[in-house]
Formats: sequence, C-alpha cells, structure tokens
Amino acid sequence: MTDSTESPDLQRRSGLTRLKEGTYGGLFAACAAITLLTTVAIIVTLLSDAVAFFSQVPITEFLTSTSWSPNPRGGGQTFGIVALVIGTLTVTITAAFVALPVGTLTAIYLSEYATSNARSILKPLLEILAGIPTVVYGYFALVYITPALKATLFPEMSTFNALSASLMVGIMTIPMVSSISEDAMSAVPDDLRQAGYGLGATKFEVSTGIVVPASISGIASSYILAVSRAIGETMIVVVAMGAQARMPTVGETVLGIPFINPADVLLDSGMTITVAMVQIAGGDLTGGTIPYDAMFALGLTLFVVTLVMNVLSDIIAERYREEY
Amino acid sequence: MATDTDTARIEGFGEVSRVRGIVFEYLSLGASVLGIFALAVLLIYVTIDAFDLAGTSPVWLLTYFVTLVVPFLAFCLYSARDREVTRRAVTVSGGGLVAVAAVFTAIETFVGQIPRLNWQLAYLFVVVAPLTGYLVYVGARGRPGAVGFGLVGRLIGGTAIGLAFSVLFLVFDERLWFLAYTIGIVPAALVYGYGRVRDVSVASAAAIPIAVLGVLVAVLLRPVVDVYPTTVFIYLWTLAIPIAAAGALLVNGRGNRTAALVAGGVPLALAVVIGLFGRAAGLGVGGPNALLVISVAGVPTAVYLHRVFDVGEGVTGLGVPVLLVGGALVGAFVVETFGIPTPNPWVSETFLTEAPSRNARDAGLYPAIVGSVIIIAMVAVFSFVLGVATSVFLEEYTADSGVIGALTRLLQINIANLAAVPSVVYGLLGLGLFANLLGFGFGTAVTVSLTLSLLILPITIISAQEAIRSVPDDLRRGSDAMGATRWQTTKNVVLPEAFPGILTGTILALGRAIGETAPLIMVGAATTVFSAPSSLFSKFSAMPMQIYAWANFPQEEFRYGVVAAGVITLLIILIGMNGTAILLRNRAERGT
Repeated sequence: MTDSTESPDLQRRSGLTRLKEGTYGGLFAACAAITLLTTVAIIVTLLSDAVAFFSQVPITEFLTSTSWSPNPRGGGQTFGIVALVIGTLTVTITAAFVALPVGTLTAIYLSEYATSNARSILKPLLEILAGIPTVVYGYFALVYITPALKATLFPEMSTFNALSASLMVGIMTIPMVSSISEDAMSAVPDDLRQAGYGLGATKFEVSTGIVVPASISGIASSYILAVSRAIGETMIVVVAMGAQARMPTVGETVLGIPFINPADVLLDSGMTITVAMVQIAGGDLTGGTIPYDAMFALGLTLFVVTLVMNVLSDIIAERYREEY
Repeated sequence: MATDTDTARIEGFGEVSRVRGIVFEYLSLGASVLGIFALAVLLIYVTIDAFDLAGTSPVWLLTYFVTLVVPFLAFCLYSARDREVTRRAVTVSGGGLVAVAAVFTAIETFVGQIPRLNWQLAYLFVVVAPLTGYLVYVGARGRPGAVGFGLVGRLIGGTAIGLAFSVLFLVFDERLWFLAYTIGIVPAALVYGYGRVRDVSVASAAAIPIAVLGVLVAVLLRPVVDVYPTTVFIYLWTLAIPIAAAGALLVNGRGNRTAALVAGGVPLALAVVIGLFGRAAGLGVGGPNALLVISVAGVPTAVYLHRVFDVGEGVTGLGVPVLLVGGALVGAFVVETFGIPTPNPWVSETFLTEAPSRNARDAGLYPAIVGSVIIIAMVAVFSFVLGVATSVFLEEYTADSGVIGALTRLLQINIANLAAVPSVVYGLLGLGLFANLLGFGFGTAVTVSLTLSLLILPITIISAQEAIRSVPDDLRRGSDAMGATRWQTTKNVVLPEAFPGILTGTILALGRAIGETAPLIMVGAATTVFSAPSSLFSKFSAMPMQIYAWANFPQEEFRYGVVAAGVITLLIILIGMNGTAILLRNRAERGT
C-alpha cells in the first residue's frame, strides 16, 4: 500500500460511494415527502367524500339549516351545521374565558416574577396539564366536576352539560397559552424593563405596561392557537357534554336585540362538530352513505377552520413581532 | 417655566401603590397554580376511587405507613446525608400532620363534610406524597440512593419490557421470528462480528444483505416447514441467550471474564429453570413468558450489580428492593395477624388480567392493554424511522437557498401546520385512506398504528430536529475535514450525538399516542373486545377506547370504580414512559 501515497486519492469517491450517498439522500427525501403527502392525503380524502356529500345535500342547506339529525336508518335526515357551530362556539368561548386570562397571568408570573427555582418546578408541572389524555379529562368532567357543580352552584344542571366540559377544555389549553406567551415575554429585551424602572415604574407597571404590549403579537398568536385547539378538541366533549344537537331558545331583550341565556346553553347537553363526527363513526361505518360522507364534510369544515387559524397565528407572530 | 415646578407639590408623585403590585403578583401566582391544583385534586380523587381508599380503616393506612413508607423515607434521608434535609423532612411531616388535621377538622365543623376524604388520606396526599417525591429527588443525588433507585428502575423497567415482548408474541408469529432469527439475523451477526474482529470491511458491509436475504428465505420457508421447537425453546434460543450473551460481553468489556460468565449465566440459568420447571415445582410462575421476563429483567440487573460492586460505592443502596418488598410483607403479616380490614382496590390482578365484563368486579382491562402495547410498539417503529429520516433530511441534506431551500421551507411550514391539525381529522384520514382505500380494515392494528404514526409524526420530527440542531457544528466540520461523506458524518457523528434527544422526543410523542382516542373511534376501533387480539388484522381495542366505553356506563361501580382503575392504569403507564424519557434526557445532559 506504500506506493499509493505517491498520488493520494483524497476524494476516494468511487462509484459505489456515490451510489450509496445518493441512495441515502433519496431515502431521506422520500421520508420527508411523506409529511407533504400526509397533507395532500388529508385534503384529498376530506374533499372527495365532502364533494359526494354536497352533491346530495346542497351546501346552502348544510350551512344554514338549524337541525342536525344524520339518522343512519334513513328517513328524516337533516344536515344543518348551525346547531353544531353553536355547540362548538359555546365550548370554545367558555374554555377561552378560563384559558386566556389564566394562561396570560401564568406567563407573566413565569417570565417576570418567578425565581428560576420556581420556574423550573412550575413549567414541567404545567406541561403535565397538556399531557393528560383528553379522554381522562372527559371522565373527570363527567364524574367529578359535574356532580360537584351540581351539589354546590347549579342544582338544575343535567348530567351531560357544556359547562364542565368547557372548564376542562380550558384547563387543558392553559399550558398552550402560557408557554407560547412566556416565550414571547422572555424575548422582550431587558433594556426595555430597565428603562421602565429608570422612569420610576413599579414592577407591576413594567410587567403590564411594557412587557405585555411589547410581546402582544406572541400573546395573540398563542390565543389563536389555544382557541383552535379548543375547537378541535373531541374526547372531553364527547364524554362530558352528551350528544344532543340543540338550538338555544332565542329570547328578546327590551330593545329587540336577540339574546341567548348562557345558562340555557351551558347547563344542558349540546353537540359540537367533533361530537357529531364521533357519533356517526360510533354507529355503523359503511362507506357511501350520506351520514358517512357528512362526517367528511364536517371534518373538512374543522380542518379549514383550524388551518386558517394556525396560518393567522403564524402571520400575526411573524408580521407584528417587534424587533429589538 | 417647567423647571420652577416643585416636584413635591405634584399630586401623588413618589407615592407608589404597593398594594396593587402585591395583589397582582399573588393573583398571577394563583393563576399559575390554578390548573395544577385542579388537576391534583382530580388525581387525588381518582386515586382514592381506584384503590378504594375512601372506606379504608386508618389502622390499615398506619400499618403500611410504618412498615413501608417510613423505612423508605429513612433510607432516602440516609442517602442524602444532609442534616438540613432531615430536619426539614421531620418538621414537614410532623407539622403537616397537625396542620392537616386542624384544617380538616375546621372545614368539617364549619363548612361541611368533604366527600370521600378524611384527614388521614388528606395527610397522605398533601404531605406524604410530595415529601416522598422530594426525598426521592434529594436521595437520588446521594450514592446509595442513586444505586438503589437504579436497581429498582431496572427491575421494574425490565419486567415491563419483558411483559411487553410476551404481549407482542400474541400477535406476531413466534415461529416466523424463530426462522428469521436463525436464518437471517444470526448469520448476519456472525459475519458482521467476523468483519469487525478481522477488520474485513467487505464482511461488515455484507451483513445487512445477508440479514435481508435470510429474513426473506424465512418468510418463504414458514408455510413449508412445520416442525418447530416449543415456544419456551424459541424464546430461549432467540431472546434469552442473545440477551445474556450481550450482557456477558458488556461485563467482559470491563475486563473480567469470570464476572462476565456470572452476569450472563446466572440470570439465564434462573430464567431457564423457572421457565421450564416453575409450574411443575408449584411456584405459580413458569412457562415461556416467565423465561422471557426473567431474562429481560435479570440480565440488565446483573450487569448493573456488577458495575455497582466494581465501583464499590453506595452498595448499601442495593437493599432498597429488599426494604420495599420486606416492608410490604411485614405490613401484610401485621394486617393478617390482627385482622385489620383491608380495602378492596379496583386496580387488582383481576383487573389487569381479565377481559371486560358486565359485572363490575369481574371487569378487566387485559385485551385493551394488549391492544395498546401492540399499537404503541408499531407506532414507535414507524414514527421513529420516519421521524429520524425526515429530520436528518431537513437538517443535514438541505440548503438554505434556491429551489431546495424553498422546498425545505415548504416542508417546515407544512410540518408545523400538521402538528396543529385536530386528531379527529387524522382519524378521518385513517378511515378514508387506510381502512377503506387501502383495505387494511376497520379498527385493525395496522390501520390504527399507521393513523397514530402520522398523527405524532410532526411532533417526533420537530423534537428530532431540535436534537440534531443541538449537535455542535464543529463536530460536523471535523468529520468533513477527515474526508467523510455527508452520510458518514451523519451516521458516525450527528446521529450518535443526537440519539438521546431523539429518543426522548420520540417517547414523549408516544405518550401522546397512547392516550389518543378520537382517531381510534373514527377508524372504527372496537370499544370493547373480550379476548386479546390474535393477529394484526383482527379487531383491536386500546386502553383509552375501553375507558371511553366504560365512562358511558351509568352504574356507580363503573363510574367510580372500574373507570377510575382504567384511568390510573393508563396514567401510570404514561408516567412511566415520560419519566423514562426525562431520565434519558437528564443523563444525556449530564454526559455532555
């Protein structure tokens, strides 16, 4: 082997090596392409059955009808998404009332007040909230929260109700708000805080008057993500909210403004878009029937809404981020 | 004349409201712990229900507290060797007892009865449980504690993995595995080993083709050959012996041949004896699964013991399993002798080994556990391979600019969006694509695990990317400078460095997969199956599906008993997985 030192082959790129390199590169690229294919497959799967559905049920009826009864046995089927949207909105808004303020305050505490020791304990504990399986949350809502609320605050509450499901959805989404908001708040440079203190501001004023406005794009994007998560949440509502598509009775206030009594919606059972899908899937799954296709139409609605919200959250986080 | 203004005369200047700030600070602290507190209360209640602690006599609790908990805590304190910690622990446990009892009595007299909770249980959950957690944490930093917990961890983890293996063989054909192992893997390993020892690069390179060829031949031979050894011998030949050999090699690498023989041989011999003769000798355990579990748990334990004795520090820690088992036995003996009433927990042997039933006391989770184990094993393989390959492509094989750069950004955005798609939509994908279009069937293991793999793929990829990104660039440049190709750099430098991080991310993602329910319902997984599945294409259930099914039962025994037991089982498995992941991460961080 000594004579090979005269003209060393530094490259050592034989045909075999090049082939091997190409093969591995190609394999990795193929695996990466699977993620892209997943998106395409989701869209194609949802679209193909949704199109079949809309050829049977006019899209205007789907969007405006207020009654949902996908009776698989045939007879008297109506597919109106309005009642489901109201159910989803109920859950989402109530959950937002829990998750957004609590999550924001948590983020402020973690980023501004907590010692590094407290932070290192609190953050993993908060992550646990997001790691508990949702069916377990649903069980908690049904078996512990509802009886507790019934015994104390709302005796007229029904076994399946929107309130306890929404509370659990809210608790589950707290870490989403808090972790993304806290990242945004931690990214605010210390100079700004020092400048605030220099002007004689208190810690409270610095936190609420400087840090929060400076990180508002991150906070807003965390809100949108959390709401999008709440919209897509399935098992908590399936277990705890029951499955009754209901239109709330719309009363009229003095000035003729339509008004819905929140207790009417919250204390009774209801149905969200996700519950409607699970209900159909839990029955007989035979392809080609209208209820089967309706499931995909609902899925498409859900997919589009959550996708739009995620893109929106990205845009807000990117475009309105304050650069320091 | 702004300068003339006397600052002291401006209303409120220099007066800062402290109250507002303090209120806000405590408000935000309260918000931070609100969710955690709510979850803790719910978990306490579900634990009480699952173990039937509400009706437990305080004497029973006291007995086990004295025989089991106190010695264990004492060991932790001994390991910590810190007067300050000991003082604190004694203060907290003593003061906590008084405080909890006082607060509890006050609530009961002035507010009202708290359902299914007494002050003894409250003390247990509010004081003893966090204290134990803290002391384990502190104790593990001392040498005996680290040794003891390491040993317990290996025993429990090894048993769990052994059981998981035996569950996998319910579905996967052990005879096919036997053929594939004998014809494919053993020759390939021999060739590879020869190549390594004699430094023949051709032999090393030939190993993979030989293995593939052998497995193919095995698949072809399987329908033809129909004489096989019994399951015990298949497990012995294909699993127990290689594991023991690997353990022995590991110990041998540290220099001692006799120790190597002992470390490999003793667990193997124990496994063989109990596996072959356990039942006959009336031990109550035996058969192929016992052989599997003992060898999978025993060999790593033996290797660990060797290392501990080799280092010679903290050997006292090896008494921890004895302490725990002994404490439990003494407790049981005392309870038996004095006729103390024992609780009747819902999480019991019956619950873990029986099929679901209409009768609450007979109901079990066994088929669902089997389903979950098989699904998770398959998801682990799919998502690990795909996740690592994709993240390697995105981090190592792409450029920042040009067409490839644009493609990479597209992939990156796409992955971020996929991570936020609701899981129920993935269920529809599985239903439309895998179950209907590709014909894998409704609710079969294949359909379910492919669906779940796609669901957790974005999370796996994102965490694997982070792990790969955290490998210092100097290492890559060093490897490049040695003339390594991109693949060689990736294989020899990047992946070994990033491996612990990738593994941690994958296990955490698997934790998400094991609790997912909605996609399973969508692809038509069974809510209840009465026997363990026997093939990959039979109808499957999983733990969350069974919990979902039971939660619909209106009877009290199901609501507050069986489902609670199911939830606790699921959560314990989840905690085990996530705990392993965190330990791996911590160890990797300490190593670098």
